[in-house]
Amino acid sequence: MFALEGVAKRYGPLEALAPLTLTIAPGERVALMGPSGGGKTTLLNLLAAAFPPDAGRLSIAGRPAEGLRPGRELARLVGIMPQGFDLVPSLAVVHNVLAGRLGEWGFARSLASLVVPRERELARTALARVGIPEKLYERTERLSGGEQQRVALARLLLQRPRAILADEPVSAVDPARAEALLALLVGIVAEEGTTLVASMHGVPLALRHFSRVVALRRGRLVFDRPSAAVTPEEIEALYALEDAGTRGVA
Amino acid sequence: MASGATAPGIRALRSRRRPPLHRRGLLTLLLVSAFGWSLTAVPWGAGLVHANGAAVIGRILGALLRPDLSAGTLRIALAATWRTFAYATAGVSLAIALAVPAGVLASGVLARRPGVRAVSATAFRAGLGGLRAIHELVWAWLFVAAIGLSPWVAVLALALPYAGILGRVLADMLDDVPAAPLRALRAAGAREWQVLLYGRLPMVRANMVGYALYRWECGIRSAAIMSFVGLGGLGYQIQLSLDDLRFREVWTFVGCLVALVVLVDLWSGAVRRRLSA
Repeated sequence: MFALEGVAKRYGPLEALAPLTLTIAPGERVALMGPSGGGKTTLLNLLAAAFPPDAGRLSIAGRPAEGLRPGRELARLVGIMPQGFDLVPSLAVVHNVLAGRLGEWGFARSLASLVVPRERELARTALARVGIPEKLYERTERLSGGEQQRVALARLLLQRPRAILADEPVSAVDPARAEALLALLVGIVAEEGTTLVASMHGVPLALRHFSRVVALRRGRLVFDRPSAAVTPEEIEALYALEDAGTRGVA
Repeated sequence: MASGATAPGIRALRSRRRPPLHRRGLLTLLLVSAFGWSLTAVPWGAGLVHANGAAVIGRILGALLRPDLSAGTLRIALAATWRTFAYATAGVSLAIALAVPAGVLASGVLARRPGVRAVSATAFRAGLGGLRAIHELVWAWLFVAAIGLSPWVAVLALALPYAGILGRVLADMLDDVPAAPLRALRAAGAREWQVLLYGRLPMVRANMVGYALYRWECGIRSAAIMSFVGLGGLGYQIQLSLDDLRFREVWTFVGCLVALVVLVDLWSGAVRRRLSA
């Protein structure tokens, strides 16, 4: 699904990602781990083709990333799971869910749907799958944070990308809901055969739900192996503090 | 990949450019001293003052207690109120119809390429600025000279400057919505006009409707004033009565104007509460 060959990115003097070579197969569930500022978000942004790498080659679904046009083409390949506050608050839930279809819709249909929602059954089914079927016509801003994330997930279900990228998908909800939400996300990608790449803070959560761990620290790959093979010592070393002088706040 | 056409990322990377804090303080100081200086520039002493003003003020205030409520005056007042209301409503409606497309173009949000965006935004913002630079009363004079005394004059004279104001405010609001939902829409494959329909417009809707209602209220006051040029309506009647020094009639018409503005304000307040609830 993703193939990186010596992909690197720097912001001015800061090396955000040292040359990285990595392959992620279709259907894999990869957790990106490591301390803040380690390069997780940079890597996710590169995979989303938000910006091109400074060096190296990146291909998404076998095609060079720089040749992919943003918009519909990219939306079919890669979807982004937002952190929960990326919905349009004043719209009804049904429109926020149906926004997943905008890449496929033309002008007339997009406009008409705001008056009388089109393809309502798709939206209803998706909401039922994420566990909040009764919220279809509710105003989105009235939903709780966890429910809003479920709406965002329902939108992704309609978008049907081949890979989902998530930046700390459960950092905004409490631990009990985080577990449920992650189980839901992982269950859905497993059913659909979607690739999942997510940056994760919670170590046990990541090891339980993801098949592979890619650990980054200061822009460099520390280890890359199946979740089952990761040892507690490795985790401790990954997050260990350096001496106070060289390490910033983070 | 052009800078305007990059794919939506996970997080925003660039924040808005702002002047540094100490320079803004300097600017504030400059503006405040300019205000202080302007006070000294006003010639407070001179002016043409009514010699027998106190007596006239007494008569005007005396008439306030006894407005003219005769059937004939009330009939004129009702007709004039209705006319003023109709001018304001038609004028502001036309203004909204003009302001929505012009505001969208002036915000430049539909343009993908930065160059096109700058051209569209500059051209339409300049156009809207020109419309509202001229006061509705001046528009009314111009139209009376060009068309004559037709209801169209009142409607157009109100619609043009109000379209300038509403369009400008809409453009600013569209530019200023939170970026995260828009990024998420683009990530889902939405093109810019779909981002407008599903993101920007719904996010500004409540504020924009509230502001348009407030402008409608302003439009009623403006329509009353504008009728001084001879277009009929409450302002015209007030002027006629003042010319004849019939202050009791003046208060009847002023009362109608106040009642109309208060009613519109109550209704628009109710609408705004429902929208934001």
